Amino acid sequence: MPISRGNRKRRVPAGGPAGQAALTVTGLAAGYGDTPAIMDVDLTVHRGEIVTVVGPNGAGKSTLLKAVLGVLRPMSGTVRLGDRDLTGLRSDQICRLSVGYVPQVQDTFPRLTVLENIEMGGYTLPRSKMKSRAGEVLDLYPQLRRMAGRQGGHLSGGERKMLAIARAMMISPALLVLDEPTAGLAPQPANELLSRHIAALAGTGVSLLMVEQRAREAMAISQRAYVMAAGRVVLTDRADTLLARPDIGDVFLGRTAG
Amino acid sequence: MSQIVLSLGFGLVTASILALGAVGFTLQFGVTNLFNLAFGENMTVSMFVAYLALVSLHWNMWAAMAAGAVAGAVLSLGISRLVYLPFQRRGTSQFAMVMVTVAVSFILKNVLQMFSGATYYSYQLPPEPPIRFLGMVFDARQLAIIGLAATSLLGMHLLFKYTRLGKAMRATSDNAALARSVGIPTNRVVSAAWVLSGLLAGLAGVALAIDLGSFNSGTGGSYLLLIVAAAVFGSVGEPYGAVLGAVVIGLTSEVAAIYYPQLKDVVAFAILVLVLLLRPDGLRAGRVQMRAEVTV
Amino acid sequence: MSPAIVSYVASLLVYLGVNAIACWGLNLQFGVGGVMNFAFILYQAMGAYITAVLTLPSASTQVDEKYILGWHLPWPLPLAGAAVGGAVLALAVGSFALRPRRRDFQATVMLVVSIIAATLVTSEQGWFNGNQGLFGIPQPFAAALSLGVNSYYWFFLAITVGVATLALALIILLTGSPWSRRLRAMRENAEAAESLGVNVRTESLKVYVTGGAIAAVSGGLLVEFIGAWSPAAWGTGETFIFFVAIIVGGLGNNFGAFFGAFLVLGVFLELPAYLPQMSNTNIEESMQSAAIGVLILAFLWWRPQGIFPERKRNLSRAIPAGARAVAVAEAAGPVLDGKKEHSPQREPDSGTAAAGTLSVRDLSRGFGGVQAVDGLSFDLAPGQVTGLIGPNGAGKSTALKLIAGAIAPSSGEVLVDGVNVAGWPAHKVARLGVIRTFQHTSEFGRLTVLENLLTAAPDQPGDTFGGALLGRRHARARQRELLAKAWALLADFQLTAAADSYAGQLSGGQRRLVEIMRALMAQPRILLLDEPMAGVNPTLRLVIEEHLQRLRDGGLTMLMVEHELGSVERVCNSVIVMAQGRVLATGTMAELRRNEEVLSAYLAG
Repeated sequence: MPISRGNRKRRVPAGGPAGQAALTVTGLAAGYGDTPAIMDVDLTVHRGEIVTVVGPNGAGKSTLLKAVLGVLRPMSGTVRLGDRDLTGLRSDQICRLSVGYVPQVQDTFPRLTVLENIEMGGYTLPRSKMKSRAGEVLDLYPQLRRMAGRQGGHLSGGERKMLAIARAMMISPALLVLDEPTAGLAPQPANELLSRHIAALAGTGVSLLMVEQRAREAMAISQRAYVMAAGRVVLTDRADTLLARPDIGDVFLGRTAG
Repeated sequence: MSQIVLSLGFGLVTASILALGAVGFTLQFGVTNLFNLAFGENMTVSMFVAYLALVSLHWNMWAAMAAGAVAGAVLSLGISRLVYLPFQRRGTSQFAMVMVTVAVSFILKNVLQMFSGATYYSYQLPPEPPIRFLGMVFDARQLAIIGLAATSLLGMHLLFKYTRLGKAMRATSDNAALARSVGIPTNRVVSAAWVLSGLLAGLAGVALAIDLGSFNSGTGGSYLLLIVAAAVFGSVGEPYGAVLGAVVIGLTSEVAAIYYPQLKDVVAFAILVLVLLLRPDGLRAGRVQMRAEVTV
Repeated sequence: MSPAIVSYVASLLVYLGVNAIACWGLNLQFGVGGVMNFAFILYQAMGAYITAVLTLPSASTQVDEKYILGWHLPWPLPLAGAAVGGAVLALAVGSFALRPRRRDFQATVMLVVSIIAATLVTSEQGWFNGNQGLFGIPQPFAAALSLGVNSYYWFFLAITVGVATLALALIILLTGSPWSRRLRAMRENAEAAESLGVNVRTESLKVYVTGGAIAAVSGGLLVEFIGAWSPAAWGTGETFIFFVAIIVGGLGNNFGAFFGAFLVLGVFLELPAYLPQMSNTNIEESMQSAAIGVLILAFLWWRPQGIFPERKRNLSRAIPAGARAVAVAEAAGPVLDGKKEHSPQREPDSGTAAAGTLSVRDLSRGFGGVQAVDGLSFDLAPGQVTGLIGPNGAGKSTALKLIAGAIAPSSGEVLVDGVNVAGWPAHKVARLGVIRTFQHTSEFGRLTVLENLLTAAPDQPGDTFGGALLGRRHARARQRELLAKAWALLADFQLTAAADSYAGQLSGGQRRLVEIMRALMAQPRILLLDEPMAGVNPTLRLVIEEHLQRLRDGGLTMLMVEHELGSVERVCNSVIVMAQGRVLATGTMAELRRNEEVLSAYLAG
C-alpha cells in the first residue's frame, strides 16, 4: 500500500546532550509578499527548557512560529534543530524531524475520536508502536482516557487543547511548539492548562517554544522569555526577571519599548 | 402485505447496489471536496470490463466482477491524476470543476458508445432457482449482491475505524492542513481515496448490471443520480449517512414500485426534495463541527 | 440555389435564433447570477409543451393523442403562456433547489429534478401522451398564409428574428441595469453582498425564474417550427451542451452567448453533415459528444473566460470631465502633509443622516464548547468612534458578526435605534444602515472599483428586477448622482486611477480602501469595522486613520475592532476592552493604560 512508505524512516535524534541548544534561530526574517513581518530574530531554546514569546498582537509572534515550522519560507537567517539545519524544509519534513506542533485554532480532527486523534499524532511512528505509544500518552492524561471514545469536535476548548498537546506528544518530540494554547479559554481552564499540563511537560525532556497571550502565567512556568514588538525581539531575559520589570506593560499597551 | 414484504426484498438488493455506489461517491467527495459527476461512467466502464472478462475470456462471474472493480480503481486514479488534479492545482473554481467532471463523463460515455454502439449487453447468466426467505424471494445472485455489499461496507467500516490508512483518510477529510502537520502524506491519502472510490464504483457497476440483466453505455450515468440522491440524503462526505440514504431510497422506491411501477425513481427523488426542504445540507449535516468561527 | 438548400439555410437560422434565446437565458442565470441551472433543458421542454397544448385544438378532436388544455390560442399567446409556465416551474423548483449553500449542490438537485421530470413525462399518458409525445401542432399563420414550404420557412425566420429581438431587448435591459450589478456582486461574493443588503436567496430565485421564462419561450418557438413535441428530444444531456455554448462563447457576455450558440450549437453540431459519411451514424454521434467533452476541458484549461469574456464596464467615462476635476480639487488631498483644511460640506453624506444608536444586551454565542461571546453588553455613543480591543480569542470579531447578523446569537438583544435585530438575517440588518467591513477583504473581484462602490448604494431605481424593467432612463439620474459621489470618494482616497480596474486585481492595501469606500457608499448609520488595519502598511495605515477621523468628525457612529492600538488611540473616542466574551473595561486609551485589570487581561488573558 503506497501509504505506508516512509514509516521505516528512523526519527533523527534532535538536540545534543542536556543543556545544549535544542533550537537555535539566528537572524531570522520572514513575512508575506516581500515585506518582512519579523526581522533579525535571534532565539534559543535549550534542552528541557520552556521558552515563552510574548508581545502585543501583530508583533510577529505567529510569523516566527510559522517560519520555524516551515509553513513560511524564511527570507534570511537560519533555523537549526540541534545540529540539523531546518531552514527551508517543508512542514511535514520538519514534523518527521521530531518537532511537535499545537496550532492555535483547528487544533483537533473534529470527527475523529479522542483516541484516534492521539493515534494520528503518531502517524510517523512505526505501525506497531502507534497503539502502544497511544496507551502511554493516555496514561499521562487520565482525563482524556475517560473520554477516549468521544469525538474531537464535542470536547470543550480546554479539553481540545489538552488533546492537541497529547497528540503532539505521540512522537516524543525533541521540540514542541505551542501557538497561544490558552486563546479563547476561560481563566480557570487556561490556568489549569498552563500550570498543570504544560508545566508538567518540562520534566519529560521535551523543549518547549510557546507563544502566549497570558504573559504572566506563561512566564511563571517558563525558564526564559522573549518580548517581541513590531517584528523584532525587544527584550529577552530570565522569565522571572522580565516579569518584574516595570516597563513590561508599555510594550503591550501601545508604547513600544526598546 | 405480502407484496410489500416481497418488494422489500427487491429494495434490499437496490439498497445494496446504491450503498456501494453512494459510499464510493461520498468517500471521494469527503477527502477531495470534488463533486464527481463522472462516477457513473466509472461504473459503466467496469460493467464492460467484466463483460469482456466473462464473455471473451470465459472467466467466472466473480473473477469478472473483481476485474471490473480493479478496472474501476485504475480508471478512477488515472483520471484524478491526469485531469482533476492538474485543474485543481490551477485553482479552478468549484463550479468549473463540476463542469470538468461533466466533460470527463461525456468523453468516457461516448468513447464507450463508439465501441459498443447503442445496443444492450447482457452477462447472459443462467437463471437461478428462487430462494424464499421471510416472505421475500431472491435468486442466489441477488443474495450474493447483498452479501457483497454487506461485506464491502463492513470492510469499509473496519478500514475507517481500525486501520491507519482509514483513519488518515478521515483525518484528511476533517482538516487536511492539520493532517499534513502531523506527518500524514495527504497526497497519497487522496490517491487512496480515488482508488477506493473507483473500486466501489466498479463493484456497484457490475452488481447493477447483474441485477438489471442488461446494460449499455448510458446505464451507469443514469443510475448516478440515484446514488447522488442517496449521498446528498445523508449529507455528502458522510459514508454512514450515505448508507442510510441508500437504504431509505432503495426500500421506498421498490415499495412505491408496487403502486406506481413507472414512478419508482420519482418517489426516491421526492424523498430527497423533502429532505432538502427540511435540512438544506442533508440529514447528517452539522452533527459534529468545529467551525472556523472559533477563531473569533 | 436549389430550394432544398434555401430551406436548409432558413431552418438553420431559425435554430440559431432559438438557441441564442436559450443561451441568453442561461447566461443570465449562470453567467451573470452564478446560478448553476443543471435543469435548464427542463424549462425549454416545459415551454415547448405549453406552447403545444395551447396551440393544439381540444384533445377530444384528436384520434390518438391525449393532452390537457387544447385551447387553440392564436399566436403569440401560446408563447406568452410558455413564458408564464417556465416562470412558475422555476419558482417551484427554485424554492427548494436554491436552498443548499453550495452552488454545486444546488446544481445536483436541479439535475435530479430534471431527471424526475423526464420520468414523469414519459410515464404520464393523460397529460403528455407518454413516450409518443404530441404531433400535428399547427404552425403559426401557416393555414392563413398558405405559403409554399420554402416561403413559409422564411416567414418563420422573420417571426424568430422578431421574438429573438424582443428577448435580446429584455436581456439587454436586465444586464445593463443596476440589478444585474447586484447579481454579479452576489456571484462574486455572496456573503459580502448580503452584508450590503442583498437578499441572496431571493435575488437568486428571481434570476432563476427570469431565465426559466426565457428558456421556455425558446422551447415554444422551436415547437412551433417543427410542429411536434417529443419528450425524447429534451434529454438531460442537452443542458450541458448549452453550458458548453456559453462557456465557449464567454460567460456574462450576451454577444458571447450568441456566438456560443452559433459556434457550438450551430457549426459544431451541424458539421458532421458535411464530413464524409461513416458507415455507422452512432459512431459519428458519439465522436461528436466526446468532442464536446474535450472542448469543455480545452476551454476550461486554456480560456476559462470564453472567446468573448465578460465586458468590463468603464463607468468613469460616464462622469463628465468637469465633475471629475471638481471632485479631485475638492478632495482631501495628500493626507500625509496633514495640513490641508477640509471644506466642511465635503463630508461623505453618511454624516448627514442622524447618527445611529446601538445597544447590545447580554449577547451570547458559543461554538462547540467555546463560549465566544458570553453575556456581552454595551452602548455605542452616537456619532462617535468606539474601539473594541482585547486579547486574541476575546470574542471581538464574533461580537461584530453577531451585531451584523452574519451569525445568529444564542441569546441576547441587539438594539439598533431601539429595534431588536438579534437573529435577523444580515441583509435586513444592513438595510437598517448597519454596515460591516470584513477582516479578510471581500471585494467583488470581477467588478470594477466603481462598480463595487455603486453596488453598495441603497435606493437605486433599477436595482430590483421590476426596476430594471423600467429601463436605464428611469435609473439614469440616480446613477449619475451615485457615480459622482463614488468619484468624490475615490478622489478622497486618491484611488481615481483605479476606478475602472477590476477590484480583484488591486493590491491588498487598495482592496482594503475599496472595502471601506464601499461601506461608506452604503450610507451607514452605524459602521462596523473588523480590523481595518490588518495587513496594511504603515503609510496606508495613516491614510485610513485620517479618513476614519474625518468620518468621526462628521458624526458617524462607528465600532472598530482593531489590534493596532496606536490607531485605536488616534481614531477612537472611547474604547471597550473585551475579555472572555464580555466587557472588561471601558474608557479612553490613556485611562485603560493605567487600569490594572486591563493590563493584567493583556498580560494574563
